Amino acid sequence: METTLPDAIRTGVRDLVLVLADSKRVLGMRYAEWMLGAPELEASIACSSMAQDEWGHARLLYALLRDFGDDVTHIEHGREAHDYCNIEVLDRAAASWPDLVALNALVDTALTIQLEALQESAYAPIRQRVSKLLEEERFHGAHAAAWVSRFARSNPRARDAMADALRQVLPGVLRWFGPDSPSVPLAPAGIVDAEGGALRLRLAERVAPLFEELGITAVVTAPDFTGFDEARRRVSRTGPDAETLARIRGDKNRVFLMD
Amino acid sequence: MVYEVFARKSRGEPLRHIGNLNASDDQLARVYAYNTYDEEKWFDMWVVPRDRLLEVFNRGDAEPPTPARKRAERGEAAATQGA
Repeated sequence: METTLPDAIRTGVRDLVLVLADSKRVLGMRYAEWMLGAPELEASIACSSMAQDEWGHARLLYALLRDFGDDVTHIEHGREAHDYCNIEVLDRAAASWPDLVALNALVDTALTIQLEALQESAYAPIRQRVSKLLEEERFHGAHAAAWVSRFARSNPRARDAMADALRQVLPGVLRWFGPDSPSVPLAPAGIVDAEGGALRLRLAERVAPLFEELGITAVVTAPDFTGFDEARRRVSRTGPDAETLARIRGDKNRVFLMD
Repeated sequence: MVYEVFARKSRGEPLRHIGNLNASDDQLARVYAYNTYDEEKWFDMWVVPRDRLLEVFNRGDAEPPTPARKRAERGEAAATQGA
């Protein structure tokens, strides 16, 4: 158990780990949904590979929750939709390939930026694991960039569809980093090297070239935090749709679940 | 476009051909190569468009690949030979 952290910080770290784990688990599901329907076989394989990575990262992160007294089996298999802390734009499946590429470009990158902020963390268990996760994430960003470039070179209709998908996902992803002055600040405790607005800026800088290729701008406005639950990093009180929930919990395989 | 994929297990070992893939451009070819072939622990991995591979010779040919034969295969007229 990580006993050196003050109680409030410990709760903040636990919430952050759960937010990352849930987001990675649901993102993995969103990739998995395109394993058979991507525009070409190689893209399907890429989705399968990225799904495996995200699910592996989620398991590793869920396992860290044991340090905080959580029942990890319950966390992974026993919660209801409203208990999930995944980034809201993942609540529903990507309706089209540009929508999936937008999740790949923005959500995956936001999770990576949040992990990068933990590279020098005072919370050793995550600091020790984060470089492995980031190494595996390298080609997720490359996949998104390659597809955005392909859309940028494509016909105007395809280019507009990609631009619209990015514009639609961006605000929710920017808000996900939370307020500039969080109620439980983790940066002063050395848990993360930046929070809120600083991370929003890092994301905007990282994805700006993708937007530019499509002839649009990554507009960073101050997010509206009305009703924002800082622990879950969500406004919506619900969670993933019922079908997604059943699949990420492994409901059909419950009979095989052993302690 | 078809890309051929090469990799090796350690520095100094010769590159070996490990497969191929379809991609519309170099950027996607790199990503797809990683996603498709990185199950093993490779030291490095390379892709090259198949049409950039130049045949030096092929001992499976019925006849040796003389310059004249190559030109004939490309449909070039005999009059251009030596031009």
